[in-house]
Amino acid sequence: MISARLERQQMNLNWRSGIKLTNTIVLALIIPIIIVVIWEFFAVRLDNPALLPKVEAVIDRLAHPFTDLLNTGSYLRHIVISASRVILGFILAMLIGIPLGLLVGRYVLVHRLFSPIIEILRPLCPIAWIPFALVIFKTYTVAEIFGVRYTTSIFGHIQLGMLFVIFYGGFFPVFLNTVHGVKSVKNILIESALLLGADKNQLFRKVIVPSALPAILTGLRIGLGVSWMVIIAAEMLPGSDAGIGYLIMFSYELAEMDILIAGMMLIGAVGAMLSYVVKLIADQTSFWQAKER
Amino acid sequence: MVFLKVDGIRKTFVGEHKEEITAISDLSFHCEEGEFLCIVGPTGCGKTTLLRLIAGLDKPSAGTISIDNRIIEGLNNDATLVFQQYSLFPWRNVINNIGFSLEMKHISRKNRYKEAQYYINLVGLKGFEKAYPYELSGGMQQRVAIARALAYNPKLLLLDEPFGALDERTRHRLQEELLALWQDQKKTVVFVTHNIDEALFLASRILVMRDRPGNIIEAITVNIPRPRDRRSKKFLDLHIGIREILERILTTNRK
Repeated sequence: MISARLERQQMNLNWRSGIKLTNTIVLALIIPIIIVVIWEFFAVRLDNPALLPKVEAVIDRLAHPFTDLLNTGSYLRHIVISASRVILGFILAMLIGIPLGLLVGRYVLVHRLFSPIIEILRPLCPIAWIPFALVIFKTYTVAEIFGVRYTTSIFGHIQLGMLFVIFYGGFFPVFLNTVHGVKSVKNILIESALLLGADKNQLFRKVIVPSALPAILTGLRIGLGVSWMVIIAAEMLPGSDAGIGYLIMFSYELAEMDILIAGMMLIGAVGAMLSYVVKLIADQTSFWQAKER
Repeated sequence: MVFLKVDGIRKTFVGEHKEEITAISDLSFHCEEGEFLCIVGPTGCGKTTLLRLIAGLDKPSAGTISIDNRIIEGLNNDATLVFQQYSLFPWRNVINNIGFSLEMKHISRKNRYKEAQYYINLVGLKGFEKAYPYELSGGMQQRVAIARALAYNPKLLLLDEPFGALDERTRHRLQEELLALWQDQKKTVVFVTHNIDEALFLASRILVMRDRPGNIIEAITVNIPRPRDRRSKKFLDLHIGIREILERILTTNRK
């Protein structure tokens, strides 16, 4: 009797988990479908593509990522330029943020040296640095500082000022999460390692860094997200000649709403993709953390 | 031959309200080479503090601790400690946890794995080489912790209630395994517990501690041949004897 009831409960559970999956998909689609329906309804009623284009016009733009837009290049070109700026700037943020975070997390003296200035600079929005960066770096590009003045390569579109604000936006999440990761290393693991013969250097490389790695990767994910937001804003400002942010601003000026909306969607998609790639790496290396009590 | 010598140590802490708390006061004992020493006492009597002092993780406020007549300063390189809480490196699998100390000595991966495998077999975890700590039960995790400590090849093995979080059946099995390892490896062991039964089953000698402040009030040599029968008269008599000592400590302290 009891086993029959358990079996029924088990079946019930399986049935429920099947329902749950379809539920998740259905639930995820409800709101976007409602938005699209309302959008299409108003687009047809307004009948003004400069104000609100029809859904199919935007989809048509998205379906042609290699087509030149407004004589500025294709979506793909603008995205590659924006992404290159972000990746280069973010690599700088990682190269400085992670080592500095490790040192600040580990050594009280370094912490005291850096934490006041970081606390002052942190609340200052990276966008606020753009005018300053324009004055200092003008419109110099990476290609130019390597002595190549005229170039068709991607480096001709990576302005130093933009690199600086991306670095600034990405640095703090990376740095602060690294510090947090190092400070949260369990004392018992440090003491165990010391009692098993680890010297200071080994303790750092074999215990503190691996233990802090999940937090560092969280920092990378957040930092990359911030950098992606910052670049879009930076590209909208004067001095910009390419990039997906530039494209949507230019579309605004020419009242090309379908290009603008499709561009926004691509910005969201690329941002989500960047976040997903880091999350995949994080899941690979931090598998032990989620399962720890 | 005296191996470990603890001589008149005192340990004080600064409390929450800046008052001085004496955890251990004027404590001395000797330990022979190859001895299995158990330390029992009520909770908070300074057993763990004592073990941390022997390991060199903390410094005594006064007195000295020496091994083979060498006074310990800083970390004790001849000893390693198995903690009560799970202390495995969660990002390393079993074989890499056990091989940790060998890696620190820059032993090649091949030789490291060969040696780690020996200890894996010794603690009965064959087949779990690639498992991660989160995939193991509490008992298995402590087996790995013991194997990891043995792979360091310390002269002195310190254990701080290593089986405290385990159920009784697992605890008894691990006690038997630990005894077999001790007889096989001929290490000197200092084992801290608050479980009288555990101490009687394992120890060649038991030191009983009192609290406030922590000190040793009784040393009992356990002359029962191994394997010990928990139901034998001698075992039960000693059990009652130690229980009476501990109860006396608690009642005098309540007054």
